[in-house]
Amino acid sequence: MNALGFAWRSLVRQPARAALGILGVAAVGALLFDMLLLSQGLITSMRDLLDRYGWDIRVVAGELPRQGPRIRDGVTASETIAMLPSVSGVLLVRVADAKIDRPSGTALNASFQGVDVRTSAGTGVARRPPWTILRGRDAAGPGEVVISESIASQAHLAPGASLMLRPSCVSEHEALPPTTMRVSGIAEFPFASETEDTIGGSFAALRNACSGNVGDEVDVLLVTSRSDADVTAAAIRAARPDLNAMTNDDVVGRLQQTGFSYFRQISTVLTAVTVSFAVLLITVLLTVSVNQRLGEIAALRALGFSRMRVVKDVLSESALIVGIGGLLSLPLGLLLATGLDDILKGMPGIPAELHFFVFERGALAIHLSLLLATALIAALYPMRIVSSLPIAATLRDEVIG
Amino acid sequence: MIVDAQNVSRVFAMPAGPVVAVRDVTLQINQRDHIAIRGPSGCGKSTLLHMLGCVDAPTTGTLLFGGENVSRLSDAKRSRLRLRQIGFVFQRFFLLPMLTARENVELPLSEAGAGKSERQKRTSELLAYVGLSARADHRPSQLSGGEMQRVAIARALANQPQLLLADEPTGELDVATGQQIAELLDRVNADGTALVIVTHDQELAGRARRVLMMRDGTIEHEVTT
Repeated sequence: MNALGFAWRSLVRQPARAALGILGVAAVGALLFDMLLLSQGLITSMRDLLDRYGWDIRVVAGELPRQGPRIRDGVTASETIAMLPSVSGVLLVRVADAKIDRPSGTALNASFQGVDVRTSAGTGVARRPPWTILRGRDAAGPGEVVISESIASQAHLAPGASLMLRPSCVSEHEALPPTTMRVSGIAEFPFASETEDTIGGSFAALRNACSGNVGDEVDVLLVTSRSDADVTAAAIRAARPDLNAMTNDDVVGRLQQTGFSYFRQISTVLTAVTVSFAVLLITVLLTVSVNQRLGEIAALRALGFSRMRVVKDVLSESALIVGIGGLLSLPLGLLLATGLDDILKGMPGIPAELHFFVFERGALAIHLSLLLATALIAALYPMRIVSSLPIAATLRDEVIG
Repeated sequence: MIVDAQNVSRVFAMPAGPVVAVRDVTLQINQRDHIAIRGPSGCGKSTLLHMLGCVDAPTTGTLLFGGENVSRLSDAKRSRLRLRQIGFVFQRFFLLPMLTARENVELPLSEAGAGKSERQKRTSELLAYVGLSARADHRPSQLSGGEMQRVAIARALANQPQLLLADEPTGELDVATGQQIAELLDRVNADGTALVIVTHDQELAGRARRVLMMRDGTIEHEVTT
């Protein structure tokens, strides 16, 4: 019987101890797996979200989109940028607060995204809007908008219905007259949170709602480059040094340095804690098991079993506990990640399509490596006990005991 | 000659000072010897047995096993020597509870690298030899004390050792069962394996051809029949 078979029998011999160890590793392993998914999940998800709609550069007046002043001459800037040879197209985005009147109940607070496309002469490339149509069709012209699912359900609106909104286009203290818009479709807004109420339409529709009171200001210019995004961003900076042109890599890098780094630090600390806990758990279980079997181990050594063989038995037992527990930890971890993701996405301002826990092969590889290291480290102390076991003294003690 | 011990002593370092467990013992064990070691508790019987079985090394003196100085062997070589040349039978059997009788007997064969068919054949022979063929697939918890000791003897004989060492082999058994084990050990010896038994049991010791009486770590006298 080889060491693995021997270890398996040892586990089966004490099913309660084995179950305790395996379930402990499964629980700790699930947490560990989730921490690894969390450590890179936000970054991966944000990158995916940024890349998904085809814009590879964001131009803003401040540090990050919608976190600073607006671009005062946004329309002019968009035309300048659209004329750059390396730019394929530019989408202007202007966001305004709006109240949607409901026949019954209080008005809904929403944000209105007005967008417009600029392309270099002759390309005629139509850019998709920063939303995805779920039902109906996209808004066309100054009298149509698309609305989020949240508004549709709260205000009982469907494609073809009319909605009355009162935007605040320059300051929140404005009191503009209500405007009636036609709902052309229900859309998903990728950067809006699950509970955020969002309206989308053309820049002309926003102007119409704001009674022409939006000026030339835009919040962000979304740029699609023809080739390398870094080269295009440099060209934009050269053309408009007063603006901040960020590639998707720059945005992700900036987020990594700011808010996202907290999650990475938390996950690193929790990873270290969970691995330590797993090591301690397995070490205690194996040590107890070995101490209960000292007489048997000494007898095996007396019968000629080598020091290496009894060490292998302990290591195999550790590997089995961690291996089985580790396998169980994967579905458990994914289940836990789904639940935690739902809870974390409930935080205000988190885009509905952003995920905190994202499965990656790299995370799985690190998870397996850490479990392997856990099995080895956890077995060190019990392996030391059996390798340095004094055979004669142990046999004598066992008889006296 | 299997074992040649010349002036071997074993001293244990204890907090209260060194304790001499075995003092200046000279002893030879030959093929087919049947030796019993007797003496009061704490006189050094088991310590001497452990040195003869190469699980412990003398502090002073020379102990040769098959002509090799045991003190100069590495731990791995000593393990190999025990596996191939020496069998151990313990008072508390020390069978592995999660394995069947057959698997317990098979263990030393497996450790020695015997092939599957060889292991199965040898195990069946040994279980038949100790009269436990019908109990081969029982776990130790399903066996009586006498049966467990018989399995332990079969396990000790697995690799056909030259020397079988038994430390109080009837110590945990009733008189009738002890008698059966004594008869089995006699048979093992008669079939060619040298036997050294440490025992308080006068009847068991009386079966040996050489009886060594120990006191305070030394062999006080030897009775040969």
